[in-house]
Amino acid sequence: MKIYTGTGDRGKTSLFSGQRVSKADVRIEAYGDMDELNSTIGALVASLGPQHSEPVAELQQIQADLFTISALLATTPDSPSMDIIAGIAQEHIEFLENSIDRMVAALPELKNFILPGGHPTAAWAHMARTVCRRTERRIVRFLDASLKIQAPDPYQRVLIYINRLSDYLFVVARYCNHLFDTPEKLWQK
Amino acid sequence: MRVRSSLKTKVENYSSELIARRWLSNKSFEIILTKPKSFEYEPGQWIRLIHHTVERDYSLVSSPTDPDVALCIRNIEGGILSPGLSDAPVGACFNFNGPHGYFTFRPSTRPSVFVATGTGLAPFVSMARSGVTGFILLHGVHSAEDLYYSSVFKSAAKQYVPCISEADRSSGEHFRGRVTDYLRKNLAPGPYDFYLCGRREMIRNVTFLVDEKFPGSLIFTETFY
Repeated sequence: MKIYTGTGDRGKTSLFSGQRVSKADVRIEAYGDMDELNSTIGALVASLGPQHSEPVAELQQIQADLFTISALLATTPDSPSMDIIAGIAQEHIEFLENSIDRMVAALPELKNFILPGGHPTAAWAHMARTVCRRTERRIVRFLDASLKIQAPDPYQRVLIYINRLSDYLFVVARYCNHLFDTPEKLWQK
Repeated sequence: MRVRSSLKTKVENYSSELIARRWLSNKSFEIILTKPKSFEYEPGQWIRLIHHTVERDYSLVSSPTDPDVALCIRNIEGGILSPGLSDAPVGACFNFNGPHGYFTFRPSTRPSVFVATGTGLAPFVSMARSGVTGFILLHGVHSAEDLYYSSVFKSAAKQYVPCISEADRSSGEHFRGRVTDYLRKNLAPGPYDFYLCGRREMIRNVTFLVDEKFPGSLIFTETFY
């Protein structure tokens, strides 16, 4: 199956809600970064390997959530296309929070800043965390630029989810060092 | 805790039996399959049909309220699945999964323009059979023999324009030329909702034409390979 249609050959792309927009649009930058975040989490999953099935399944669930968020970002809020997208619910946010709490309970208490890194898998989690923070900034920039009023509910929950996901990925990085028996390097001035 | 997050389409596996086959032309036919009890879909969606070890994707041409499901198949000589479907006996079992896709009708204040090439007409047949009306439909085909669904669109479409290759010698009130020729010459300026289904070359060319001549329009696409 050929994956190209060529409709983007002249610098425009189509939104899920049908509009044709420039590929330099702030909206496209926001879901472009979302794509990078999803790919970085994919690298983290690959680094973990199938033997760590529980965190892998959790991260792949998050990758599926990110596809939903990308579809939301590619849809104008007043479009009937919005009805097709399931969106992000409170339970998705609780999923992250519960997982953070579970991992933190298994880790030594954090008393100082740690250097991002450690085991290569933990380093991937830190990379994903920083891409996640940039994605969050891009989404905020897009919402600030395109919405005169407060962001509608579906976008509000996306902001909460992405903010929580950065925290989650920080804890995953620490958890990976714990999992692979790699000491965390504390920041020393 | 596991939570499900996805677009609002629940893909499941189903089994079905061939009820009937209706030839539409020398090369194309409709197959009617039993509709599994829990199978639900929207007009414009497609299923992945599995027969033995072969699978192919087909848009549904039936309405979701019909008692069975129908697919429009073009018999491709040397094809992987279509020859088998063209002579499978009534009662033959098929597995499929679906529904797939988001090429569904979205109500709007702008006029809708449906553009299809060949069997890319299928999603529009399902939409028309489900009560969607008032659209302009352009259907690009090689010959008049391929206009087998015209009766479905006579009452549903505001305007139904078969666009037939200039090489075709049949009589009839058809536009001679490509769908892009018709759009360029005959569609009044303004924003529309375009629904494009068919070969990727058509989708690419119509998309660029819309960018150029119909700014502010929406475009929804489904590519048939």
